[in-house]
Amino acid sequence: MIFRLVVGSLMARGVTVGMTVLSIGLSVALFLGVDKVKTGAKASFSDTISGTDLIVGARSGSVQLLLYSVFRIGNATNNVTWESYLDLRARPEVEWIVPISLGDSHRQFRVMGTNVAFFEHYKYRQGRALTFQDGMVMEDLFDAVIGHDVAKVLGYAVDDPIVVAHGLASFTEHKDQPFRVSGILEKTGTPVDRTVIVAMEAIEAIHVDWKGGAKIPGQTTPVEVIRQMDLTPGAITAALVGVESRLQTFSLQRAINQYPEEPLLAILPGVALQELWGIVGIAESALLAVSVMVVITALIGMMATVFSSLNTRRREMAIFRAMGASPVAIFGLLVLEAILTTAAGSLLGLGFLYVGLFIAQPMIDSAFGLFLPIQAPAGREMLVLFAVIVAGAAVSLIPALRAYRLSLADGMMVRT
Amino acid sequence: MSNILISSPVTLGLRNGLLLGVFFNAVVSSSAAFAEETRQLDSHEHGVGELNIAVDGSTVAIELHAPGADIVGFEYVAKSFDDRLTVKKALKSLSHPLELFLLPDPAECRVTEAEAHLETEGVHDDHADHDDHADHDDHADHDDHADHDDHADHDDHAEGPVHSEFHATYTLVCNNLSALTEITFAYFDAFENALELEVQLLTASGAQAFEVKRGKPELDLRGMF
Repeated sequence: MIFRLVVGSLMARGVTVGMTVLSIGLSVALFLGVDKVKTGAKASFSDTISGTDLIVGARSGSVQLLLYSVFRIGNATNNVTWESYLDLRARPEVEWIVPISLGDSHRQFRVMGTNVAFFEHYKYRQGRALTFQDGMVMEDLFDAVIGHDVAKVLGYAVDDPIVVAHGLASFTEHKDQPFRVSGILEKTGTPVDRTVIVAMEAIEAIHVDWKGGAKIPGQTTPVEVIRQMDLTPGAITAALVGVESRLQTFSLQRAINQYPEEPLLAILPGVALQELWGIVGIAESALLAVSVMVVITALIGMMATVFSSLNTRRREMAIFRAMGASPVAIFGLLVLEAILTTAAGSLLGLGFLYVGLFIAQPMIDSAFGLFLPIQAPAGREMLVLFAVIVAGAAVSLIPALRAYRLSLADGMMVRT
Repeated sequence: MSNILISSPVTLGLRNGLLLGVFFNAVVSSSAAFAEETRQLDSHEHGVGELNIAVDGSTVAIELHAPGADIVGFEYVAKSFDDRLTVKKALKSLSHPLELFLLPDPAECRVTEAEAHLETEGVHDDHADHDDHADHDDHADHDDHADHDDHADHDDHAEGPVHSEFHATYTLVCNNLSALTEITFAYFDAFENALELEVQLLTASGAQAFEVKRGKPELDLRGMF
């Protein structure tokens, strides 16, 4: 009975109620969206590298090492000498070690020198290995494997020639040694998508005619001669290490961190990711806090409209009272109205979220490499919606209490 | 050292004073060169220890690094009878990991290896006093020498503050690792100067870091194994 009254009453004030529902819906969609981005970002963050026990680089900070070795953000302070790399490789605890060398670029994408073991040992998203969309790993000195985004943005196909530029954002290009695309990787959602992968020796080869950051004028070593040269690199930027037994990881880490011949740093990727998320996560939490504020504002807006409607609805209330409705029924009527309004708003918000996700998902994926899965609302979202509805009911208690008191005092008399 | 050996025959013909001077220089420069090659120190924060836990199969390897200040309340080289007794007691306590880190009974963990020693900055040979020698320390004679020990301490301080760290390594075997749902740190009750442990946990699913503080001496491990 009351329910029908409530629905009828809400329908009668369609425009006002509609606006309130819309504002609650938008605020809820914002909150859920921010939450979705936060969880999505965190997941794609921690999915970037897995299966690697230690990352080794020059001694700097764990977050910095993680940023340049895995996310290709920023630069290394120092390189690791090839001798240290060999020392490390010879240690009995080391099961496998993959050197990486950064510093060159192709258009806006970073070039990474490594060896074929990278494709075997680099894992992402709980142990998934890299797979080829087309082509295969590098076979020749001047072969390059490109990430999914590189191929997509620059429109490359297997066997296309590419030119690698020296240094980042530099205009001098290594025109003498054009590379050939030998393979294109499947999309991973990791920085590998935006990387051009070549052999360590190739990085050395393109610098044969270069000294001190500039090309030696007039000197061009023919490709055939370069192929005959000893192209063992002098240094690497970082190395990914897998240990024989997990129980040895900490002692190997300490041995590397105290390596007397060269200041090296070994980090546990999981711990460094956690540390990095601790920094980035603050901004995300601030964003979430702002969206909570927006939800609260929308609910207070609802309270304000209920308040202002109370005066105009005095006669309605008085009639209800005359029909035999108790003051408690008036109270319940208003709370129920609020619950229905917020529930409608929450559902609308959920609708907005999914529509928004369907539209924005591919854009966010290509722009930021952030994949937001579209899933049925989980327990967490349900909890949020429930909390909004409860908060709506709680907020409505204040005008409902006022209506209750007024309806007791007013009786049938309407003072205008 | 080879520097000195080579240079001394050359200076043999010179006067004693000069010889001494050269010898002195050789020692200083060679030790300086040596120090330059390996001059590095671990970070050291009083009140904060490190606990590394690696789990592989049913084996759990644990390493504890804790500043001397946390464990015994001082970091200078223990020379007085009382200080040495304190260190000895601490090492004894540190070699019983299951009394410091309480694991749930259903996990059925037992210690297969436990070792603890004290490492003092710059003094690398100061390994754990062996329990066998405990008898010697009990002799009252040592108290007479207490004054001398004090003098020795002053010499140490002249070189700057000394830091020391307790290092302990444990190997445990747990029959039922899935029941290892939490660790309760009686460690904080045993060592009242310890404020925090930075825990790094390494499992099949990767590495994770936690901070366990005196106020809440528990670590929830549900879903980790």
